[in-house]
Amino acid sequence: MLEVTGLSAGYQGNDVVHDVAFHVDPGEAVMIIGSNGAGKTTLFRAMCGLLSPSSGRVLFEGDDITRIPAERIARLGMRFVSAERHLFPRMTVQENLLLGAYPRRPDPETMSIVLDLFPRLAERRRQHAGTMSGGEQQMLAVGRALMSKPRLLVLDEPSTGLAPLLAQATYEALGVLRKRGLTVLVAEQQVPLAMAFSDRGYVLENGFIRLQGTTEELAANPSVRHAYLGVT
Amino acid sequence: MIANILDGIVLGLQLGLLAAGLTLVYGLGGVLNLAYGQVAVISAMVVAFALDAGVPALPAVGLGLLAGGLLGLLLDLTILRPVYRLRGEARVLLSLLLTLGVSFIVDGFLNWRYPLEALTLRIGGGAVEILGVPMRRGSLVASAITLATFAGLFVFFRYTSLGRAVRSVIEDEEGARLVGIYPNWMLRLILIMSGALAALVAVTRSMVTPVDTTSGLSITVFALIVTVVGGLGNVAGAMLAGIILGIVNVVAADLIGTYISLIILLGAAAVTILIRPAGLLGVKE
Repeated sequence: MLEVTGLSAGYQGNDVVHDVAFHVDPGEAVMIIGSNGAGKTTLFRAMCGLLSPSSGRVLFEGDDITRIPAERIARLGMRFVSAERHLFPRMTVQENLLLGAYPRRPDPETMSIVLDLFPRLAERRRQHAGTMSGGEQQMLAVGRALMSKPRLLVLDEPSTGLAPLLAQATYEALGVLRKRGLTVLVAEQQVPLAMAFSDRGYVLENGFIRLQGTTEELAANPSVRHAYLGVT
Repeated sequence: MIANILDGIVLGLQLGLLAAGLTLVYGLGGVLNLAYGQVAVISAMVVAFALDAGVPALPAVGLGLLAGGLLGLLLDLTILRPVYRLRGEARVLLSLLLTLGVSFIVDGFLNWRYPLEALTLRIGGGAVEILGVPMRRGSLVASAITLATFAGLFVFFRYTSLGRAVRSVIEDEEGARLVGIYPNWMLRLILIMSGALAALVAVTRSMVTPVDTTSGLSITVFALIVTVVGGLGNVAGAMLAGIILGIVNVVAADLIGTYISLIILLGAAAVTILIRPAGLLGVKE
């Protein structure tokens, strides 16, 4: 479904991620784990059209989407939920969700699926997005992306700034979506959360993919256990 | 006094609509269009020439609005291209300089070729009494058109998906891109709309007082003052600031004199910047 090969990207000519290759198959949940500053956000921004990569290729469902602007990629069915969320703060929850479906007519069925998944959003439909708590904003960011019925959901650190219980709740909602067949790619530094959710994963360190494997393999790897799972 | 306030409201509504066109372009694209008044004047001249050529009033006004919209589109397709490649303050600055240049060229050309051309739309019928004050029918028609346009803008931005998409770009451009909205298309749409609004204000203004080929600069200056007081990128703020400044302007002109009233307006803008840098209804960044 998604295939990234040889991707290098960065800012002002200095690459932050180097020669990254990974893939996501339909129906999978894949994680990219790494510590703060490993290059996860740069990698995702380059993949989703917010940053022009210096080399490499990104294929989505067989189409080359390298250097295609973010707004076009979003319309192709691959939705990116940024760690900064980028909601529309002075618009209501309802308006944020309706815009998720743009330019298509918002589908009432999808709307009720999203509101069932995140009942808090239903309660706060008329409230401005900017006045909500971090957890609610994260729900809205995911909900807004779901309104377009994406085939691939890409999330950058969905646990950022959330209390442990809320971060867990976010991953529970993602688990529900997965069971319904949504393909998900997630970058996370809170590795146990991502591991409980993913089929496979890649370890990104200093801009390079160092390790890859199934979640079980990674969880059994001594260096992963040491660096990310707090096992000595 | 009541007569002054009513006249002030008539002027203020137009100032508000004028500022709305300028502030939307700024809020959406970080572009300050100093050729805004010239767009209004050229549109007014199109209406005047059409009337001279025997075109009936309504189609002539339609041509003027079309001209305003096309001029907005023309700016987007030509002079603003290099501006779009820049970000932040550099973008504002380059847009300001380039459009200022356009305004000089347009002013020079109009004053050379058509120094005596002016648009005056006479609305027939006698005065109508409001709160005991006889009001000219032209003022009332102009105000009614302006209010209806504000209502139209409100409905567009609140209840249509295209209007919401435009607002989303003002709110968070990256967020808009992530839901599949093309910011450049929205900016083009708003430049067309802004041109048509400038044309509409020129037309309604000409129902009250003649709009001639030298009006461009003062129209831009008025729009800028109202935009600053109302808050950049804020249509409701533009309307509120327009009405307040309209009343201030008419009352000050009556009490002290026309020239001083402009200084008072500029003073009001300066005080607003000092006390509320984001404008009356603006939100702090």
